[in-house]
Amino acid sequence: MTTQHKSKSLSWKEKFRDRLIEIIGADGVISSDDELIAYECDALTGYRIKPIFVVLPNSAEEVSAVIKECYKENIPYVPRGAGTGLSGGALPTEEGIVISLSRMNKILDVDIPNQRVVVEPGVVNLWVTDAVSSSGYYYAPDPSSQIVCTIGGNVAENSGGVHCLKYGVTTNHVLGVEMVLPDGEIIEVGGKTLDHPGYDLTGLVVGSEGLLGVVTKVTLKIINKPEAVKTLFASFDHIEDAGAAVSGITVRGVIPAGMEIMDSFCIRAVEEAVGAGYPVDAGAILLVELDGPTAEVEALLPIVEEVLKENNAIQIKVAKDAKERELLWKGRKNAFPAMGRISSDYYVQDGVIPRSKLAEVLGEIGELSKKYGLRVANVFHAGDGNLHPLVLYDSSKEGDLDKTLELSGEILQVCVDKGGSITGEHGVGHDKKRFLSLMFDEEDLDAMNLVRCAFDVKGLCNPGKLFPTPRTCVEPGMKPFKEHPLQKAGLGEMY
Amino acid sequence: MLKKNIINNLLRIVGEKNALTEEAEFKSFSVDDVLPEIVLFPNEVEQVSEIMKLASKESLSVLPWGSGTKSALGNKPDRADIVLSTKNLDRIIEHGASDLVTTTQCGITLKKFQSILNKENQFLALDPPHVGKKATVGGIIAANDSGPERLRYGTAREFLIGLKVVSADGAIFKGGSKVVKNVAGYDLPKLYVGSLGTLGIIVEATFRLYPVPEYSETYLVSFPTLEDAHGAVMTLLNSDIVITSLEILNPELISSLTKRNDLDIKDNQYTLAIGIKNVEKAVKDQVSTVKTLCDQNGGKGKIISGVQEEKFWDDIRDFPWKLFKTTRVVCKASVLLTQIPQVLETLKRLSDENGIKTYISARAGNGILIISIKGEPSSMIESLNSLRAFVSSIGGHLIIQEAPCEIKAGVSVWGDFGSGVGIMKKIKFNFDPDNLLNPGRFIT
Repeated sequence: MTTQHKSKSLSWKEKFRDRLIEIIGADGVISSDDELIAYECDALTGYRIKPIFVVLPNSAEEVSAVIKECYKENIPYVPRGAGTGLSGGALPTEEGIVISLSRMNKILDVDIPNQRVVVEPGVVNLWVTDAVSSSGYYYAPDPSSQIVCTIGGNVAENSGGVHCLKYGVTTNHVLGVEMVLPDGEIIEVGGKTLDHPGYDLTGLVVGSEGLLGVVTKVTLKIINKPEAVKTLFASFDHIEDAGAAVSGITVRGVIPAGMEIMDSFCIRAVEEAVGAGYPVDAGAILLVELDGPTAEVEALLPIVEEVLKENNAIQIKVAKDAKERELLWKGRKNAFPAMGRISSDYYVQDGVIPRSKLAEVLGEIGELSKKYGLRVANVFHAGDGNLHPLVLYDSSKEGDLDKTLELSGEILQVCVDKGGSITGEHGVGHDKKRFLSLMFDEEDLDAMNLVRCAFDVKGLCNPGKLFPTPRTCVEPGMKPFKEHPLQKAGLGEMY
Repeated sequence: MLKKNIINNLLRIVGEKNALTEEAEFKSFSVDDVLPEIVLFPNEVEQVSEIMKLASKESLSVLPWGSGTKSALGNKPDRADIVLSTKNLDRIIEHGASDLVTTTQCGITLKKFQSILNKENQFLALDPPHVGKKATVGGIIAANDSGPERLRYGTAREFLIGLKVVSADGAIFKGGSKVVKNVAGYDLPKLYVGSLGTLGIIVEATFRLYPVPEYSETYLVSFPTLEDAHGAVMTLLNSDIVITSLEILNPELISSLTKRNDLDIKDNQYTLAIGIKNVEKAVKDQVSTVKTLCDQNGGKGKIISGVQEEKFWDDIRDFPWKLFKTTRVVCKASVLLTQIPQVLETLKRLSDENGIKTYISARAGNGILIISIKGEPSSMIESLNSLRAFVSSIGGHLIIQEAPCEIKAGVSVWGDFGSGVGIMKKIKFNFDPDNLLNPGRFIT
């Protein structure tokens, strides 16, 4: 199909643009090269593709009209939130358009007594908590990018955050969506009430990386702020000890709200950047946050302290007040941006291992770092075993990037070998599709494709992502083939 | 009738000892009076796959089966050649106690599963009914069954992090993973929670677990009016008290429970049951706050703990089955939690008008009402239809969980599947193109 599009004349593109302008208005269609550059990639900047146009719809109806037009003309499209994704999930498709949901940014309904908030997809994550905070509530999923990333993007990627050990990730807090299907139909699944009859389509759509349709409205669950919060900080000489402490805490029956580890590289970078008060000579630090009823937090605090001591913690500090707590977290939340200070370039990996294997895997990552001669910084959601090794490299050095990608790939292999996952929260997107086969065999991927074909038989919605190799569907509702014969013969690329 | 050679082939797969072939043995495997032609108890996942390959080649319909405790859920099946029970697939595959994760075959009963996990002071945070009657883990996932503690922990979708399925054509595939955080690929476990065996046979499940709370107490408190009771609910829900379960019981239910349990509380009033599990001091502190808040709202009650408390919650989970041994009508309404009083009042009015009796336990923090009805079949049909009309008019849903065929003939079991029904049907078609799995009972 790509080749077909290319052969179409410029006037065809102009006609298509005119149709889009008719639907959204001229100010909602971006077509100049200068402006399109901003949409060439998401936060994974290594891959760039310029879309033919970007549309900025204002409503589900406009999204639907655009998608119907795409369906008619077989134009692929990629939905986009704030573009903070780290897996290239919003990377445009060749000869395709980008549907940016940034204008659909209204909070539609704040229903405190029922603990629900309904938002448009372009609403920024933190706005939800801001809207309910004065009533004593908050929206739990808190990715590090929460001051800019949007709920629509969070839904697509099933975003996590630093507090999901206890409270879960996006999928545990989304109760329903309105979405535009790839044929343009607008449907509602789930909603403010629970237990809708039928399959849990909401559960399927959350984390589907924008491959099943375009979400235009999201119903969220909000929760009560805890009575008490205590944040502990511990420093260690060796990161393996910090890892063992994390496992030790849960084994003792304590599930903190979050547990985060940073290694010495990160500590130094963060200290320079924000001055969070971390000891710069430590091998690693661990943040543990306990929350809940005061009596519970008070009972668990000594258990955590004991485990920290058992695992050779050097310094243990409990934040005295909200201000100290925020400072400790500020360091963690700024870890990625701060890395810019110690390395011109870095690649963020995202893998998951069973918590009990933390110490072991951290050691193996250290070995890999030596083997490749590249520095690897570790900052991660230790409580749920979600690693974020940052491979530091220099893009001006020839071969450095290739080595970096190879090393990052080996880290994923280690994660899978330990019974883990190739991604805990950043998604597969474009970046990791070749690694999906480490976890899933052909039968598993076939089952996933059955889902995709139920939604998007033409394969126009964010094509080329997630699946390791292109898979096709036959006709509406029909069982998909594994591979189209034309493709097998190398005669055509199918979306 | 199944052809002799097909029966022989099926018996060859599972072995004669693991099959029932005589009609006399089928009675406890009937679904809405539809009897199967053969009941199979495979011992291995590969056998399930072989059965499905044969079924798909011969176009045989298959009813996946755990212990049959929820066999009354859903429409009457269009056909039923094979009942495929997973009850022999009951091995725990791994329990990573230090990771609070476990993988098990799905035919294991929840009771046995919990008792093994409890040895490590952990548990699967699901408290559905029928646990005493051998409800299996697979059946609980397939029916998306839960109990009062969903307020604190959620439902199976929150803990099912991975699964293995045998598809309609016998392929074996997996979804999710064995770690608590994972976003690789579509979230297939979510699709299977509540899919009622229509998309494949769930043979293995991986769950995240929780530590067993140290201590538990329940405050049982009755109120002069429903308004007072619900006022207390709203105060509690808007506080930072971490409640494990919160139920509003209607007077009919509380009076029948009082008789059974020697509860010694006012039995002609709406009653709240507020369960809190935590470390002991946190329980005592919070129960004391709960008591103060409720009593300020006109409540009068008592704190129960230990065996009496356990028995009380057992009764709440299973009340429709404990109160009615044979003919039962059980349904579940879902509305916003602020709408619960409206539904309770509607049910009171319908009871008075139609001469029926209703027993209700409402999950006050979730907007879910479990309702059991007693009366003449025609009155019950009329009441259920009126109730659904009301619940739908306020944006909610009503599902009939269990009812005799004559009731099902007069009331839609599932109600409206909503605007996603087209996609649901396509999913069903893609996963089971020949409509072999539980045909007609759910999405078809």
